[in-house]
Amino acid sequence: MLRAALPLFGLPLAGAAATEEPTQEPRSSGEPPAGLALFRWQWHEVEAPYLVALWILVASLAKIVFHLSRKVTSLVPESCLLILLGLVLGGIVLAVAKKAEYQLEPGTFFLFLLPPIVLDSGYFMPSRLFFDNLGAILTYAVVGTLWNAFTTGAALWGLQQAGLVAPRVQASLLDFLLFGSLISAVDPVAVLAVFEEVHVNDTLFIIVFGESLLNDAVTVVLYKVCNSFVEMGSANVQAADYLKGVASLFVVSLGGAAVGLVFAFLLALTTRFTKRVRIIEPLLVFLLAYAAYLTAEMASLSAILAVTMCGLGCKKYVEANISHKSRTAVKYTMKTLASCAETVIFMLLGISAVDSSKWAWDSGLVLGTLFFILFFRALGVVLQTWVLNQFRLVPLDKIDQVVMSYGGLRGAVAFALVILLDRTKVPAKDYFVATTIVVVFFTVIVQGLTIKPLVKWLKVKRSEHHKPTLNQELHEHTFDHILAAVEDVVGHHGYHYWRDRWEQFDKKYLSQLLMRRSAYRIRDQIWDVYYRLNIRDAISFVDQGGHILSSTGLTLPSMPSRNSVAETSVTNLLRESGSGACLDLQVIDTVRSGRDREDAVMHHLLCGGLYKPRRRDRAEEQSPVACYQRLSSRLTWIKHFWYKASCSRHFISEDAQERQDKEIFQQNMKRRLESFKSTKHNICLNKSKPRPRKTSRKKKDGLANTEATNGKPPRDLGFQDTAAVILTVESEEEEESDSSETEKEDDEGIIFVARATSEVLQEGKVSGSLEVCPSPRIIPPSPTCAEKELPWKSGQGDLAVYVSSETTKIVPVDMQAGWNQSISSLESLASPPCTQAPTMTRVPPCPLAAEEPQPPFDLPYDPRPSFAFPPSLAKAGRSRSESSADIPQQQELQPLMGHEDRTHLSPRAANSHWCIQFNKGGRL
Amino acid sequence: MGNKQTVFTHEQLEAYQDCTFFTRKEIMRLFYRYQDLAPQLVPLDYTSCPDVKVPYELIGSMPELKDNPFRQRIAQVFSEDGDGHMTLDNFLDMFSVMSEMAPRDLKAYYAFKIYDFNNDGYICAWDLEQTVTKLTRGELSAEEVSLVCERVLDEADGDHDGRLSLEDFQNMILRAPDFLSTFHIRI
Repeated sequence: MLRAALPLFGLPLAGAAATEEPTQEPRSSGEPPAGLALFRWQWHEVEAPYLVALWILVASLAKIVFHLSRKVTSLVPESCLLILLGLVLGGIVLAVAKKAEYQLEPGTFFLFLLPPIVLDSGYFMPSRLFFDNLGAILTYAVVGTLWNAFTTGAALWGLQQAGLVAPRVQASLLDFLLFGSLISAVDPVAVLAVFEEVHVNDTLFIIVFGESLLNDAVTVVLYKVCNSFVEMGSANVQAADYLKGVASLFVVSLGGAAVGLVFAFLLALTTRFTKRVRIIEPLLVFLLAYAAYLTAEMASLSAILAVTMCGLGCKKYVEANISHKSRTAVKYTMKTLASCAETVIFMLLGISAVDSSKWAWDSGLVLGTLFFILFFRALGVVLQTWVLNQFRLVPLDKIDQVVMSYGGLRGAVAFALVILLDRTKVPAKDYFVATTIVVVFFTVIVQGLTIKPLVKWLKVKRSEHHKPTLNQELHEHTFDHILAAVEDVVGHHGYHYWRDRWEQFDKKYLSQLLMRRSAYRIRDQIWDVYYRLNIRDAISFVDQGGHILSSTGLTLPSMPSRNSVAETSVTNLLRESGSGACLDLQVIDTVRSGRDREDAVMHHLLCGGLYKPRRRDRAEEQSPVACYQRLSSRLTWIKHFWYKASCSRHFISEDAQERQDKEIFQQNMKRRLESFKSTKHNICLNKSKPRPRKTSRKKKDGLANTEATNGKPPRDLGFQDTAAVILTVESEEEEESDSSETEKEDDEGIIFVARATSEVLQEGKVSGSLEVCPSPRIIPPSPTCAEKELPWKSGQGDLAVYVSSETTKIVPVDMQAGWNQSISSLESLASPPCTQAPTMTRVPPCPLAAEEPQPPFDLPYDPRPSFAFPPSLAKAGRSRSESSADIPQQQELQPLMGHEDRTHLSPRAANSHWCIQFNKGGRL
Repeated sequence: MGNKQTVFTHEQLEAYQDCTFFTRKEIMRLFYRYQDLAPQLVPLDYTSCPDVKVPYELIGSMPELKDNPFRQRIAQVFSEDGDGHMTLDNFLDMFSVMSEMAPRDLKAYYAFKIYDFNNDGYICAWDLEQTVTKLTRGELSAEEVSLVCERVLDEADGDHDGRLSLEDFQNMILRAPDFLSTFHIRI
């Protein structure tokens, strides 16, 4: 869009800092520096950035104000409000300063305001959806835009010939085509702003939005070509120039995309090596994406396309490479910048419209343009869709077409382009400006306001926020493969064929090259989905549990009860609690305050469901004490969070909230993965003194896994299998060991609460986890103490009694791990790690064994006497928070210790340096 | 088109058209593709209904397919005897199911069959484990796989019998509307 022609000086502040601001700082000048001034007012030195900041602040405050009333924002799109605000502000400025200030400068717009929005949309573009619909998107973007430009331009010219446009509008056919080219492009900013609030179905959204992004190339070319034709004068244009124009379409679009991809490649490659300097990861993302934009701009290629492709291309690898904190940082920074830029754009648009000096009104032109863009857009959409539907598997129906036609919003891009016109070459510029402003305002305000009711009225398929299921993920992948296979057999190189090819290429070469080895290994979509689901379940259960438990009935009506031995997911846990057989609730029953009860339930829940995925990746260095502290802090945190959430829900949608939670949890878990890996590496590399524990731990993990599987009757995987898997993994990662250590460190400590919580959960994990004994080597006495004191009862004399009696009530199978863990830690207390091996098979006689009730779910194991609570330790006087985590779990876990486990373990035990007794009775 | 008659009799073609969702032209195209797979095995004259099978080895060794985790399974499901050797009829069937004209239920049925590795009429945990293992190409450890499978079973298991019947499967798959709508190819 002719950005190359922009004057490069003064760009950043061109909009805001155009002149001195008389209204805000009347005292800005005029104080002569007499002697040593105690107080000096140096407005001019800070003026420019100050004004920029002020404007952004005003815009943000306005946003806040808008959202104070939910009613308003649900009816009126934010972009409309911002434009109106801009009008008002512009009016004020005009009234005070007597001249228009602070307008939307094309330079500012293209170099600073647009890139963040495009980057945001490119980076977070659902790539699968995008490529699935690429054909349609490209058609609309290229053919549609060309069609719109030419028909609108020609029709306007026809209007003029017909005498409906006032003769003072001096414009030739070329001028009208130029105008048509700039007014025809659907604007990504406007589309995004409006459609984000409408929630039409994904396919529709991606088509309209993808079109608005990709048509940039066409717009750039058309605009440039027309502009240069106008400047050359139509008489001088030769046939070769038309050909060049066509050729430049390919150069600009493919060139822009290529620039974007090159930078995406560089970006991915760079982030592969940032292990030790995590802190610059987010910066890199922004820098390289911006560099892509500027490079494309410099070469007068399509900069929007470049950034889009850059974001689209790099995401997969970058997300895998950068740390989770960086990921969050990238996400939020990107969103903030984009939202900021969008706000400012709309506000400045409003302000710019006030400047009547640029205007020259002609009703015929304005009305004609409005009519033509709507009409030709609709016509174009219908025609193209008709053609496309011949090829599409899922045809676009009439309603979709209506929305697509109506959703063709014009925005700031058109405005910036029209401002860039040269008045000497295009005498009708003022008319064009006025018309553009009207068109932009009309589309953003009128169409923006009405599209929501329209969508509702037409019953357009909305985007459903049905929860993603594992099935869906699974079948999607399977179907892809099947389709690709069938296409291969028939020798038909269709879409599936190419996607399959690409995926294989990506897997074989690109991912290997661009992803860290560790990241590469972790990435598996199915697993990813699985673990996200688990987190979600846990969260939602905590939510439910928090409310349900506080009321008397503990039933979750929707959950059918189910009798199964190996319940792993939180969902199952949910069911159990709904079944009325939920024993841990009984345990809690005796507790006095409802709050404590809630704590405990939530805790079980989280422990049980949350950390299953990648358990073996857990970091092991945590001392139990720390863990307990963390756990308790997590509990309060979660409660806090949820209570808060429920209070504030009238403003934030539930969805958003849930997503936030998910994110937090995910981060924690992922962080854990990383840190665990690093520990693993260390182990592999140096088996020196301090390491043996870890090594043994690893092995144990392997064992645990096996046992976990053994615990479940139908599965008979030899433990060697699992162990082998784990070991190979480790060896793969060895090379990275040292660096990953730094990684781990990086990851620690910034978000204390979050991490703490995750840590705790894992340590105190109740669910039969893969790594059975998380904390064996660090054996502070705390666990024993913890056993003595129930968290909610600290300081109460009756504690011990309570504990023992409660042990009899039991427990979801999932919670064995926690039990095992506590046992192991206790044992390790008793003896130093190296001596543990011989003792490993021995199980300390448990005085409580007799009391152990039948596990509610017919556990196949014999309840084993596994551990004696050392009463002497009870007095240790642990703080309440420390102990809170473990006790309930231990009680619950007790019955789970399986006899068979021990037998499995023993052979292995001899090998490990550190053999702690751990039993993994249940399946994970 | 002249050799169309030499390959099939008119009645054969009619029958194929009845049994599949293809036009004559498509059937011929598919036939040539089939013949391409094993030129020395498949005669160009089908009027006598020769009993010819393209062995699975030929299909499975196609370079395009060698990375596809489901190649064998697909061949097995669509071959008559379950050994992966395909007759022309099987071959046509396979594409017929994938064509746009095929009803959703049919698609769902075949998808179900593909999942049902042990052919017992149910998708059980073991079947799912096969699928997941194939999909993840061995990147998940055994216990991770079984976790995932459990979850999958859990999600779709309407009658809580620990395995998915065809009804469960159909329910689940029809719930997501664009699922089967994308389960076809154009040839």
